[in-house]
Amino acid sequence: MNKTQYFEGCGKEGLIRCIFLSEFHPTDGSKISCQVPENYVSDKIFGAVNVYIIPKKQLLTCTLTVNALGVKIVGYPVRIKNEKYKRNAFHFNLCFVCDSWARSVQYEPVVKKLSEYLIMMEEESGFLSKEGENRQRLVQMFDKILKDLNESKVSTLVEGENSIYLKIVNHRPDPPLVKDYMVPLLTFEYKDIPLESWDLTTQQILPYINGTNHIARISAEADVDINLVKQCIQNLAYYKVLCLLPILKYSNVYMCTQNLKNLIKDTELSLACRTFVKLNPDKPIPPIQRVFLFYASMTHGISLRSICQRLNPQNNNIDERKLVIFGMQHNFIRCIHKYPVFIGNEPEGRQKMYTGLCNFDEICCKTGLSPFGIEKDIDKDTNVTVIWR
Amino acid sequence: MEVNPLSVILVKADSKGDRLLFRYPYQIQQNDSVLKTKEQKKNPYSVSTTDDVLQNTPPPSSNINNGELCGFTDEVLSTLFAVKPELTSQKFELKVNDVRFVSHPTQMQPKDESNGSILINVVFALHAQASYSIVKCYYELSKKLGYALRMEEERVAYLTEEMGIMVKTHDEVANLIEQKKSVLNDCEFVMILERSSLAQTLKSIYHDLCTTGLINISINQHVTLSFCFPQKAHQFHRKGTIVEPEAIDKCLKSLKPYHGMLLLVDFADLLDCVPPTGARILLQLVENYNPLKSLQNIASEANISIDMVYQIVGHLVYWAKATIIYPLCETNVYVIAPDASLHIHSHLVDKFSTSFPGMSLFEVISDFSLPTSIGHLTTPLQQPARQGILAQMVLWMLQHHLLMQIHTYVQFMPFSEEAVDGETEEILVSEEDDVNENDSTLSISIPVPHPSQRSYIEERLSNGDSTVSDNINVQPSSSHKSNYSMTNSGSLLSVDEEDDNKSQVSIEDEEIIKGLLSAFPSSDRAAVKKIPAAGNVEDLTLMVKLYQAGYFKGEHHLEEIMYFENLRRSQLLQLLDKFRDILIIYETEDPAVIL
Repeated sequence: MNKTQYFEGCGKEGLIRCIFLSEFHPTDGSKISCQVPENYVSDKIFGAVNVYIIPKKQLLTCTLTVNALGVKIVGYPVRIKNEKYKRNAFHFNLCFVCDSWARSVQYEPVVKKLSEYLIMMEEESGFLSKEGENRQRLVQMFDKILKDLNESKVSTLVEGENSIYLKIVNHRPDPPLVKDYMVPLLTFEYKDIPLESWDLTTQQILPYINGTNHIARISAEADVDINLVKQCIQNLAYYKVLCLLPILKYSNVYMCTQNLKNLIKDTELSLACRTFVKLNPDKPIPPIQRVFLFYASMTHGISLRSICQRLNPQNNNIDERKLVIFGMQHNFIRCIHKYPVFIGNEPEGRQKMYTGLCNFDEICCKTGLSPFGIEKDIDKDTNVTVIWR
Repeated sequence: MEVNPLSVILVKADSKGDRLLFRYPYQIQQNDSVLKTKEQKKNPYSVSTTDDVLQNTPPPSSNINNGELCGFTDEVLSTLFAVKPELTSQKFELKVNDVRFVSHPTQMQPKDESNGSILINVVFALHAQASYSIVKCYYELSKKLGYALRMEEERVAYLTEEMGIMVKTHDEVANLIEQKKSVLNDCEFVMILERSSLAQTLKSIYHDLCTTGLINISINQHVTLSFCFPQKAHQFHRKGTIVEPEAIDKCLKSLKPYHGMLLLVDFADLLDCVPPTGARILLQLVENYNPLKSLQNIASEANISIDMVYQIVGHLVYWAKATIIYPLCETNVYVIAPDASLHIHSHLVDKFSTSFPGMSLFEVISDFSLPTSIGHLTTPLQQPARQGILAQMVLWMLQHHLLMQIHTYVQFMPFSEEAVDGETEEILVSEEDDVNENDSTLSISIPVPHPSQRSYIEERLSNGDSTVSDNINVQPSSSHKSNYSMTNSGSLLSVDEEDDNKSQVSIEDEEIIKGLLSAFPSSDRAAVKKIPAAGNVEDLTLMVKLYQAGYFKGEHHLEEIMYFENLRRSQLLQLLDKFRDILIIYETEDPAVIL
């Protein structure tokens, strides 16, 4: 295994290396009674961590993860009380084992669900506590789960009349807050999914997501309640199906970021960019020099309009709107927003919005005024100053 | 705040068994009250679910209450953290529901050899969501504490003594309870805190972690332990943003001698981040500190090697005591930082007016909505004092991350007019090749079939370029060529012929120029050659030197090129202007000074 790629804290999700069932034997104590693949967790390692696998009763039905000696063991210790057992209770813990560098939080609900399934089976037929042919069945089960989950992240088990569905749901960082004035844009790989395979709300709003319409407009045009639209968009943003951009206006000001140099360094990216920003599909794709020059011209104080006037992008078959979208999506450029700030004593009416936290887009969206109207309003007001950042 | 610890726990295991010696904070009474209210809230008419699948009522799935650890008895914690010998001297991590415990169990031989070995475990309980870098910092801290305790044990049996005090107190309280005397909950910890210096140390560590993220304590007044949680410490200056240690490392890696340093705290607050042995050299550096000086200047004036200066500055940056800037000067261009916390309710507004009476932060900073330099805002007619105040204000705004400096970067990018000339087939073909060849800068080569013919054309081109460039509508003081004429390439040859006789370049120079031009890829050579300045050996030599040094890939800003190539700004700007047709210039921030 490549050591430089996988280190603790790399944030990568690793495969399930092993599944085992541990139980508290009335005479032998804690032990592993079934393990797939065999001996992945050696007796020595198990001996060192068994306190955390079969723990004291206060830690029962807790998701317990122990990371030591190079293995990360995720378990959910449980106990079934019943007088039929030798010590009036049956303790067991179903555990998934990963590499110590891997994230494992996504396995926790699966481990819990599977444990609860095993409890049910045990209560119905003594599936776990009866020695004998059931062990072989358990090995087959673990084998299937291990293979299915690692390959496709889903697994279905059928045991007699019971069936159980397991699915690994990956944990992602929290999605951004969705505001009225934001513009959603579908990411490339989700563009061609047939409409009917989305959920109902998404189906209704998806035709209006084009990288130009903002949330409030999508809500109006699709005739869907705005809060519903926001929830739906936030959900899609969580799964990285779409990204959120500021409204594209020709009065917008952008600046380059350090990532712009990647457009030259990365040939694939550069070709993707040139293909994306093409204005007329029948004409050849624009030369990289022109595309780069357009991005490089973006800086404080220069609006998109004035760059277009100077560079005539359509002469080079460049669609400046697509160029901006591509640049924002790949962080070549950043939008510089305009924030009015009220510096007088008692704000009145619209001045209350000029806190320095709301940018022009937001104020326009809230008031329904055009940026030009707000601009005129602010110019007259000596108590308002404007900050670009 | 997920950086803060939930609890710090001290567990020992020796020949007399395992025991939780101390934990802080120790009030867990609220936990009971929470459980009680939960029970009270239960609807009395609800049907009790006796046939629960799990039989046992599930315990709460959260072990955090009001930012403190709850739901674990001391006995449970003790058994969990009195780890088996196989697990000592390495990272130990245990996650229970939403709490993550991390520690470095340390084994040691007590000074009094008669007893067996002692295991001591300083465990930190954290929010499970805490990022890996935070967990790692806590692990390192636990490790350092373990080492310090082992050192003190070997020296003066400090641990044995402190353990004795704590165990004795526990026993006293247990006796009181046995005698049915009324005692307060957790009163043993209150008593331990009064009696044991180790407990006091752990308490102050907990408080430092929750407030500043900076630890500077001495254990048993002998071993000094300094530790910094950058994720927390940098919050002091930038509320709400968590600065990861990796980001600091990245920033420090790109540190250059021309960078400067800006202190974020008073001199008096500097010394607590270094061990006493390092104080002398820090003072030496600080005595020569000035935000107008480069690190190199500071190093030479303080008589410290530049590597040493890097180390100290890196340390100060890590500890949130300083930040990296480009030394303040009149030509530096600043704009408002995109993440500046600028709003009317910000505490910075008042802080600014206190530092600069009569000034309003918003009025001053709105000047920087457009890229602006100090030189720009002041005129020679003004009093010098005004410029001084302005510089102070800029420094203040840099300290509070309200401004960022904009630098100019250069990208070498010749235009080949063939691309515009409608040779569609050629473009598409060379496209494919380029992807394979990994040659990104130029996708279109001039379609010249024989090399001999090409050099002939090149020679002729080199003479006539001055006229050619007149034909192209180049806008002054800008590298942008919007009105590029489509017919240029067609007229090239005829122009050349006219100029052929006027050639004044000596044959010797021509040879040199030819040699210099070979530095560029063959596909770019023609474009370079067309530049009038390419006929000047001096200009071309400098251009080739900078090109070969890799300065025109958007990775080096002008100040860096000036520093490393020992150029004046005017020299460099002139050169860039002369070669503007094959260079694209853009402005952005320096990654080294982002922190």
